[in-house]
Amino acid sequence: MTNIEIFKESFIKYEGYKDVLEGLKATIIIAVLGLFIGIIIGTIIATVKIIPKKNGITNVLSKIGDFYVWIFRGTPIVVQLLLFYYVFLPLMHVRIPSMIVATCVFGLNSGAYVSEIMRSGIQSVDIGQLEGSRALGLPFTKSMIKVIIPQAIKNIIPTLGNEFITLLKDTSVVSFIAVMDITKAFQSIAGGNYEYIVPYCVLALFYLTLVSLVTLLVKLAERRLKQSDRK
Amino acid sequence: MIENSIEKTIDFNQPFNNDYLIKISGLYKNFGKVKVLKGVSTQIKKGEKVVILGPSGGGKSTILRCMNLLETPTYGEIWFEGKLLTPVDPYLHKEIIRNAKTYKKLFSEIKSFNPALSDDEADETVIKEIKDKDLLKKYEGKEYKAEMKKLYKEFFQDINLTRQKIGMVFQHFNLFNNLTVLGNMTLAPVQLKLKTKEEAEKKAMELLKKVNLEDKANVYPSTLSGGQKQRIAIVRSLMMEPDVMLFDEPTSALDPEMVGEVLELMKSLANEGMTMVVVTHEMGFAKEVASRVLFIDEGIIKEENNPKEFFSKPKDPRLKEFLSKVL
Ligand SMILES: Nc1ncnc2c1ncn2[C@@H]1O[C@H](COP(=O)(O)OP(=O)(O)O)[C@@H](O)[C@H]1O
Ligand SMILES: [Mg+2]
Repeated sequence: MTNIEIFKESFIKYEGYKDVLEGLKATIIIAVLGLFIGIIIGTIIATVKIIPKKNGITNVLSKIGDFYVWIFRGTPIVVQLLLFYYVFLPLMHVRIPSMIVATCVFGLNSGAYVSEIMRSGIQSVDIGQLEGSRALGLPFTKSMIKVIIPQAIKNIIPTLGNEFITLLKDTSVVSFIAVMDITKAFQSIAGGNYEYIVPYCVLALFYLTLVSLVTLLVKLAERRLKQSDRK
Repeated sequence: MIENSIEKTIDFNQPFNNDYLIKISGLYKNFGKVKVLKGVSTQIKKGEKVVILGPSGGGKSTILRCMNLLETPTYGEIWFEGKLLTPVDPYLHKEIIRNAKTYKKLFSEIKSFNPALSDDEADETVIKEIKDKDLLKKYEGKEYKAEMKKLYKEFFQDINLTRQKIGMVFQHFNLFNNLTVLGNMTLAPVQLKLKTKEEAEKKAMELLKKVNLEDKANVYPSTLSGGQKQRIAIVRSLMMEPDVMLFDEPTSALDPEMVGEVLELMKSLANEGMTMVVVTHEMGFAKEVASRVLFIDEGIIKEENNPKEFFSKPKDPRLKEFLSKVL
């Protein structure tokens, strides 16, 4: 049997494709939800840090934000996964499915990166936008949500797209905490009959396709947002 | 000496038995070490059209922006419709100073040191000393701070509520780029639950009709000309039904051919009785519309008069110089 035939057999006959579909789903869910959580956390941290006149509480919050970013940017994602899954959660005597742990850790991790991206996005919005809103009597948080953050997100769509791509590729390490993602799925196909060439090449093609798709979507989103400016 | 409680001796409401909308007392503003405003006091009556003139960098924008607290005053008080927007500034109230322990101590010291001094003279000296050296902050304890807070609370109103009643128009329009014209106009009244979406849209369309821009309701600001943007910005403020409108050089960023349409709208607002405070370089507008003109230079009001006297008989040398340049 050729390498390709071996792969075909384990992929179709022995239903390897089921694992791959399952894994693909996990990879996408972790990346998408992770980014979603990351945007929420990142936006909150960025907003707290950007408050013009800080008082006691917002000062403390801002320091917590700094600490958070320091921790999550200062350690590898694999280490964070291992710590949460094998150390923190057992210490707290909670059992959570590894898939959920992975999603949350990726969300927390990307929150740290998105907070920096979001901060530059917010700073790129003209201060007059906030003043215009505050002068109408809209409180700071409402002004941020309705006026500033939508414009900030628009400004950072390309950077956010890159963050998503990084996130998508980084999810390949979730098998460290026993999540069946797409990498893991191909690993088991390869390990099943000690034939590595085809499964790993196909795996690379999967990631390439996903990343290309995301790149395309970001480009389309950018173009649409530009058009809404000129409507 | 004076042992009355602070509340009894200060009649904070006194200036508001008449029809002053905005009262600015002893306003100072520092940006870091730069002293921009150095003691500005004025009152704006209902229906007045106050035009603020002066050379660039004199502090005109800063005064306007202090009125709705876009800038926080360093010292001084801002009042709006009987509500205090800033903390109580103790140095503006002799009664508060006289109640302070520091005052009592200094007063008895100065009297024993110089028995010939009359009570009034001693009082004046001590008050000046305390003001000049900012002694209250230094020497008065927690009690005093609590007292000030209590006073503040009594007259305080959330700034967001106050701002709903103070419209502001900026040099660079500050229309929200992420919203259509209609979205710009309805955002605040709907979000603040003053109107339902339908009511707000109806009102917005009426206002747009008034400024002949109904056809622009659904476009984004980036497609509008400067004059259109500024007219939209003005009617966006009007959506809140403000009691006073502040204009900070509303025509300075416009191409000359668009200045007229904005000034016309402002004039029609003036005719409808709107209270207005306008920083501008449009002398024609000042002469025609103003009920009072202020000349702001080097952080203080150098001259203040009705437009006729202001332009025909300027007294301050800096104002004479300024007018000779702009007229
Ligand atoms: N946010 C700020 N930070 C530092 N300096 C400022 C700020 N705003 C204004 N200034 C300074 O205060 C002075 C008065 O400014 P402004 O009130 O804008 O004057 P005007 O409107 O009369 O031209 C200027 O010297 C300006 O540089
Ligand atoms: Mg100015």
